[in-house]
Amino acid sequence: MSTDKQPASANEAPVEQELYKKRQKIYPREVHGVFALLRNLAMLALLGLFYGLCWIQWNGHQAVLFDLPARKFYIFGWTFWPQDFFFLTLLLIISALALFFFTALAGRLWCGFACPQTVWTEIFLWFERKIEGSRQKQIKLDKAPMSARKFGIKASKHAVWLLFSLWTGFTFVGYFTPIKELWDSMLALTLGPWETFWILFYGFATYGNAGWMREQVCIYMCPYARFQSAMFDKNTLIISYDEKRGEPRGSRKRGTRPAEKGDCIDCGLCVQVCPTGIDIRDGLQYQCIGCAACIDICDDVMDKMGYEKGLVKYTTENALSGKHVRLLRPRVIFYSMLLLLLTAGLIYGIATRVPLEVNIIRDRNALFNTTNEGLVENVYTLKVINMDSEPRTFDVSVTGIEGMKLLGDTEAVRVETGAVKDVLVRVHADPVNLKSRSSEIEFHVESRENPDAKVEENGRFLGPVL
Amino acid sequence: MSNDTQAQTEHNLPVVQRIISVLWPSFLVASLATVLFFVVFDPQELGMLAGLPEVTRTGGYTIGFFFFWFMGALGCALTCYFRKPCPPRIRTDQAD
Repeated sequence: MSTDKQPASANEAPVEQELYKKRQKIYPREVHGVFALLRNLAMLALLGLFYGLCWIQWNGHQAVLFDLPARKFYIFGWTFWPQDFFFLTLLLIISALALFFFTALAGRLWCGFACPQTVWTEIFLWFERKIEGSRQKQIKLDKAPMSARKFGIKASKHAVWLLFSLWTGFTFVGYFTPIKELWDSMLALTLGPWETFWILFYGFATYGNAGWMREQVCIYMCPYARFQSAMFDKNTLIISYDEKRGEPRGSRKRGTRPAEKGDCIDCGLCVQVCPTGIDIRDGLQYQCIGCAACIDICDDVMDKMGYEKGLVKYTTENALSGKHVRLLRPRVIFYSMLLLLLTAGLIYGIATRVPLEVNIIRDRNALFNTTNEGLVENVYTLKVINMDSEPRTFDVSVTGIEGMKLLGDTEAVRVETGAVKDVLVRVHADPVNLKSRSSEIEFHVESRENPDAKVEENGRFLGPVL
Repeated sequence: MSNDTQAQTEHNLPVVQRIISVLWPSFLVASLATVLFFVVFDPQELGMLAGLPEVTRTGGYTIGFFFFWFMGALGCALTCYFRKPCPPRIRTDQAD
């Protein structure tokens, strides 16, 4: 045993050292250009949507609210119930397919422009730049010994990050609990324990992921980053360095174009702007999130040198090797067809959704009773759920056995929007009309105002066999 | 030989990645499990059955999520533990 342990513990020291080497902090340099602009616009739109949408009201309720305490989802005019889980599944499948589709077509568009990890890291980087200054200043500050000034700068950065994270956590919880009530109870310091917990938990996750983990989330944690290459082919848009044109790289005087050198002046700016700290000139790497920062900065440099742009650019493997680029490939057609089909299905399903659900629960105490008149009686509770956006009045009727009678408050059952009403009914039937111990009967529940809200639900009528 | 190098690289995984490989997959699975489970079961009714009527729905979801996370993490941790290379078998017949 001890001899086995020996090499392992001897290995320990270099492993730990390697760990520190691997966790080198990355200071992405600020970049301007077409793609930086697009990225900033996407960031503003997505963050605006996240922080703003929860404050919009719609017909007296929050426009988008996943009301977990009440087990219903509001999305503008629609109310969804646990029974509508199917639609959520469909929506998730459509989202996954859309991701595959865009990946096959344009590579890691999602990672570079729309992924929450990227978006929040960007905004955290922006705060960092506003407080600590440019990349050079940040590196210098980190190397400097601790001083009152350094402490002040670092403390204010973390304070701003933490405040922003808490606001993010608050907004997140605001999608599950009405945000106005949440805001009021926060001001009055009467937040519930679970809400407080989730605000802190989500806030902490934001702070950790966007402030500290950053590119490590993409490299170590993201499942999509691991399998996205499976959706790539030779016609997929990738960010690539034109090796033929760039090599052999080397520095030179501005305005010159030495014949023995390629167009890459080896300024290293493409490495400095990279949020994951890779060198795009090493070829396609799975760490590349496709943010296109290196394209912007290299185009800038090429402009200054008087060379044509596009040494680093969006291209495809086929284009790089001088082959024809095909946009419509079998996989693209397949993904888009499936996407169209499922989206149409979802829209159709939601449009024709019956805004009423009826559950029938048999009385558990007795299978059946016999009344004084000799009739067989079965007792049921109908749970009538009004999934419409207005209060509705329902009428209940029953069919299935000759001469059967329905007793109870079965007419003009008023159910508020989004409410469940228990309707206790008794069904009477003459035993001579019963053909077996168990007969199938059908309850009909119909809305007076909305003819679409109509449901037939089967039940069992039990009785003796004569 | 190839077995050796694989054991080597697994042992050399950065600590961050080792922690993540336990906590992260279990987190993802717990999120999914929470959604699927609570679509079918109402936490309030479960609380009633368990004799804990004071647990609110939000509380039920939270407890459920962390329960699934803990269970998933336990599974991941055991997987990691059993992936560790075993000491080689001592062959007495050959040693003699």
